[in-house]
Amino acid sequence: MTINYTRISAFIFLLIFLIYSYLAGEIRVFAFDENADFNARTFPKLISYLGIIVSLLTLVLSKNEKENMGQYEWISVIVLFALVFSYGLLIKTIGFFVSTNLFLIISYLYLGVRSYKVIIFSSFPVVAALQFMLHGLLDVYIRDPFLQFLGVIS
Amino acid sequence: MIEGMMIGFNTAFSGYNILMVMMGCFAGTIIGMLPGLGPMSAIALMIPITYGFDPASAMILMAGVYYGAIFGGSTSSILINAPGVAGTVSSSFDGYPMSQKGQAGKALAIAAYASFSGGTIAALFLLVAAPQLAKVSLSFQSADYFALMCVGLLSIAAFASKGQFLKAMIMTALGLALSTVGQDSLSDITRFAFGNINLMDGISFVLLVMATFAMSEAFMIIFKKMDINFKSSDVSKSSLGSIKISKDEVKEMVPTIGRTSVLGFFVGVLPGAGATIASFLAWGFERSIASAKEKLKFGKGSVKGLAAPETANNAACTGSFVPLLTLGIPGSGTTAVMLGALLSFGVQPGPRLYVEQPELFWAVIVSMYIGNVVLLVLNLPLIPYIARILAIPKNILVPLVLFFSVTGVYLISFNSFDIYFMAIVALLSLVLRVLNYPMPPLILGFILGGMLEKNLRRAVLINDGSFSFIWERPISLTLFIIAILIVLLQVYQGLKKEKE
Repeated sequence: MTINYTRISAFIFLLIFLIYSYLAGEIRVFAFDENADFNARTFPKLISYLGIIVSLLTLVLSKNEKENMGQYEWISVIVLFALVFSYGLLIKTIGFFVSTNLFLIISYLYLGVRSYKVIIFSSFPVVAALQFMLHGLLDVYIRDPFLQFLGVIS
Repeated sequence: MIEGMMIGFNTAFSGYNILMVMMGCFAGTIIGMLPGLGPMSAIALMIPITYGFDPASAMILMAGVYYGAIFGGSTSSILINAPGVAGTVSSSFDGYPMSQKGQAGKALAIAAYASFSGGTIAALFLLVAAPQLAKVSLSFQSADYFALMCVGLLSIAAFASKGQFLKAMIMTALGLALSTVGQDSLSDITRFAFGNINLMDGISFVLLVMATFAMSEAFMIIFKKMDINFKSSDVSKSSLGSIKISKDEVKEMVPTIGRTSVLGFFVGVLPGAGATIASFLAWGFERSIASAKEKLKFGKGSVKGLAAPETANNAACTGSFVPLLTLGIPGSGTTAVMLGALLSFGVQPGPRLYVEQPELFWAVIVSMYIGNVVLLVLNLPLIPYIARILAIPKNILVPLVLFFSVTGVYLISFNSFDIYFMAIVALLSLVLRVLNYPMPPLILGFILGGMLEKNLRRAVLINDGSFSFIWERPISLTLFIIAILIVLLQVYQGLKKEKE
């Protein structure tokens, strides 16, 4: 049996469903519901059985092929992931407008856009238009300390 | 029924809703044209926008987006041989060779007319079939619904798996498991929240859809080292050629459209099948019945070869609304996303929808027809201009998709936790997609999880704790037999492949 990525993933899923099954058994139910025919534990238990069976079958029956994962651009994706994460961190503190523009500009630059015209036209007007649509047309309030400071929004 | 239809017509023909269809078709065409972003991503991106709308308008917008995305996918298939949507892959077989011969305008016109005709014929079928099916399904009980949902889950897993049924089943189980996070609907007991207040209400459907489709698709473009500076050659009006179709070509198209619209509709009605299978089947079917001389033209710019998949995929889109509207069971991944959106509006699709909310039921059906007209009248002349969207380089597109995904989720909860959670889910789904784990079964499992539990609970309690309803009720028994047959068919196909 060759150890390949499919088998590794199936094994991880098997562990996940085993843990899920254990946790399903630990769900606290009301005392009168403890021996009921169907309580809050029943459905998760059934799902865990399905998950365990299919992951086990995948583990055993998958083909003995080596999969190559080396040809992918892992680093760029992780950088973008980190950027999204930072965007999430900043959106509350410095506000929607600045954080979104920062996110877009850094992403464009990282992905190789070098034209400042393109960078500016694909960030500020897009964000401003969306924010205007949300605030002005749809009445959706987004907290934005920077624009409040500038007096653009109340 | 007539009264309901009139209400539906009134709703659909209101100025506001016609605007919704037009906007939906337009937005869908643009998004669908972008390689990689299909109707699911397009609809997912629309969900946050529709939150302030009434359910009928939201559904009408989404139906327009669905059609537009399929049409947009055809445009990129025909013009640059890069299908934006899986359902339009077969359109490129004959559409792209036509483009290379300098007949891109004609190919786009054929695609538009065929899509219009397919959608129209299927809308008429829907008009007749949906109320009948809704009446029949009124006799369904919880046990039958449970069985029907099992069939839906298995068929989506079977069709979406591309030969990897077990992986699709793992995704189904994972989707079901994720649906159990949060409060149990009956007892209000919190499950699998691990004390985290952000998980007490469960995982947001929009978050999951955005993360698994829109955001992970954007990551995928970078991940697969696709040429991020890629630009299609400038698609100008002059390079498209004339959009006029000759009489002979019309004569050639008509029988094909008639046949493949029926085929497309019925394939679309089947749970799990959808536009992709319908379009491939239609292309194969037309080729198989063509004369030896015509057969040679297939794949080299045949009018029939282009009209067939275009008709079938639009007819299948309409067909996939039948199980959604009448049974509350989505027929495809895209309608699964729509089901989730409807549920978030507090609308429960199913047989009662036809009785209780006829304005929504009929408005959606009528708006599909309006959508077809919009695509033909508005989009076709605008194609040379819309097609310029293909010139957006991916290094601009990717950050914009990420931004719209993040904003879409943030606007619902205004909670940063959702952004972190979404990014993690997107990264995990990227890894799973690379390992050939399909995402539609996960979404369907997640959406149907709550309903599946509710119906199973009711069925078990009605039967005094026994699972005998499986063989005691004829409808349930028939549906479970179908479910078993689906599994056996997958096992058989797997064994056959192994032998080969």
